[in-house]
Amino acid sequence: MITQTPKWPVYVLGSVALVWIIPLVGIIAMSIRPEGEITSGWWTIEPFTFTLDAWREVWVNYPIGRAFLNSLAVASFATVLPVLFAPAAAYAFHYLKFPFRRILLLILVNAFVVPNQVVIIPLFKLWRETGLIDTYWSVVIPFVGLSFAWAVLLVKNFLSNFPRSLIDAAQVDGCGHLRTYFFIVLPNTITAMAAVGILQFMWTWNSLLLPMLFLRENATLPVMLSTISGAYEPNWDQRAVATIITSILPLVIFLFFQKYFSADGKNNSGSKG
Amino acid sequence: MAQVTLKNLEKSYGPTKVIHGIDLEIKDKEFVVFVGPSGCGKSTTLRMIAGLETISGGELVIGDRVVNDMPPRQRNISMVFQDYALYPHMTVAKNLGFSLKIAGVSPSEIETRVADAAAILGLEPYLKRKPGQLSGGQRQRVAMGRAIVRHPDVYLFDEPLSNLDAKLRTQMRIEIKKLHQRVGNTIIYVTHDQVEAMTLADRIVIMRDGIIEQVGSPREVFEKPNNTFVATFIGSPPMNLIDAHVASSNGDPVLKLGDGSELSAPARLRNTLEAGKAVKLGVRPEDISPEGNALPTAGEIVQLQLPVLLSEDLGSEATLFTELAGSPVQSIMYNPRTVHAGEMLSFNMALDKCHVFDGESLRNLAA
Repeated sequence: MITQTPKWPVYVLGSVALVWIIPLVGIIAMSIRPEGEITSGWWTIEPFTFTLDAWREVWVNYPIGRAFLNSLAVASFATVLPVLFAPAAAYAFHYLKFPFRRILLLILVNAFVVPNQVVIIPLFKLWRETGLIDTYWSVVIPFVGLSFAWAVLLVKNFLSNFPRSLIDAAQVDGCGHLRTYFFIVLPNTITAMAAVGILQFMWTWNSLLLPMLFLRENATLPVMLSTISGAYEPNWDQRAVATIITSILPLVIFLFFQKYFSADGKNNSGSKG
Repeated sequence: MAQVTLKNLEKSYGPTKVIHGIDLEIKDKEFVVFVGPSGCGKSTTLRMIAGLETISGGELVIGDRVVNDMPPRQRNISMVFQDYALYPHMTVAKNLGFSLKIAGVSPSEIETRVADAAAILGLEPYLKRKPGQLSGGQRQRVAMGRAIVRHPDVYLFDEPLSNLDAKLRTQMRIEIKKLHQRVGNTIIYVTHDQVEAMTLADRIVIMRDGIIEQVGSPREVFEKPNNTFVATFIGSPPMNLIDAHVASSNGDPVLKLGDGSELSAPARLRNTLEAGKAVKLGVRPEDISPEGNALPTAGEIVQLQLPVLLSEDLGSEATLFTELAGSPVQSIMYNPRTVHAGEMLSFNMALDKCHVFDGESLRNLAA
């Protein structure tokens, strides 16, 4: 018997989803109203004045474009490197036999539990001595290094569901490990690479601590955002504008790549199932 | 020339030995089937021949080269995997041509050879599809096509039909046989299905627990099984084994069953049976059939009155389950009629076709 889908889950889920939208609406509302109107709450209706003053001021007073490019550069470098190298490392750890494999993996995973804060002071000394302070590398290198632990583990986990027979077939077809990796494993690991890429991009894009410490001239968007709220004026409207600008790119990327979060591996190599 | 020689081949995982020194010579153009229950080491042996498992001891020779330490790509073999192992991101044509591309064959040559293989296997309409868009049988064919484009010395098949349904399996079995007649290369084929082994093989290698129990043509292993394992593994339904011991009656050896009844011993064995010895009498189900529903046989016939416990009617024949001196016995009834449980029937046993196995070593006393 076919019954109609009940309506109530739609309403329940809809109202839950609404909770997530409220802050977004709030930020937008704050950014288009004069600051005086929102101090008693953005949800107040009376009076409602539409103004783009906050947008104009942020644009004029802060180097938004420059910060955007800085963020883009840092996040892109910090994303591309793990996306390229984590699958290679995962392949090696998963399929190759070499001395100290387990110990090396353990050391790598160890970086998982090292919080950013622990490495700040040693890194600061190191960058100062090597002259890397205020260059992109001063943040890109720790971003890549710290991401490698989870990125390698994530891809390695993905590979544990990768059919062994595909690797065997590639070997029989004449591939060594490099060609097996590039021709067979890599094209079928795109889902895992996309997951690594999206997560890493979002985290590095939104990261505040390391860029704030290591970048001065080349401040990123979140760093700039933090300077908008002055010590004596909260600048709520301008902070709202900066928040919107900062979150646009990750939002677009997420919308564009979200299918990779749900898509499964689809690597069943043609067997039934 | 592509004979394959296994000399005392061994495989261990740490301290656990799984292949205990196998010796086998496979002739050029021979179709050899490794068969045995799961875990007997047949797939491991095949993977050692392919180069996908390291060899722990002994020597493996393909053609005239010792290939122990060669990677798979230097062995000039190709392999069909149980789950087909088709590359999911490549079209059928790319799948077929991949090994040639890796070997640096020119694109025009690849195209010709892929087209040839596709023609042999009837894959032309599917060349542009991806594996995910094919049915099980088509995938199986692509996997075979991928093996034949390379013109290898030796084909290795690792349970290639076990993912197919019964009807398709029979069909593909015939195609593999035809393929062998057509390309004529050495084929080593692993299966746990004794029907596949019997129908495909020039020679069957029956394995158990990492050793070879018997090697021979399908007819040899069926008619002259070395021991009870081979006897019950080859043939369907399996051979019946009835516990007995040898007694003497008027100077002639007879087989005394558990319930005290006596059967005369097969004539060809009378000289080898010593009184007092514990034995197992082996009777194939087709050699013990109800009177009037049996195949005509030459030689001595023994008549037995046995109760039918259960019958399975298969249409052209029925399998009757009965009991002889406490041992379960299956019997094939030709041109069957409906038989009810509990019915007493008179069975004809073709005595000269029976086997007698040693009760302890379980070896065939005639062998």
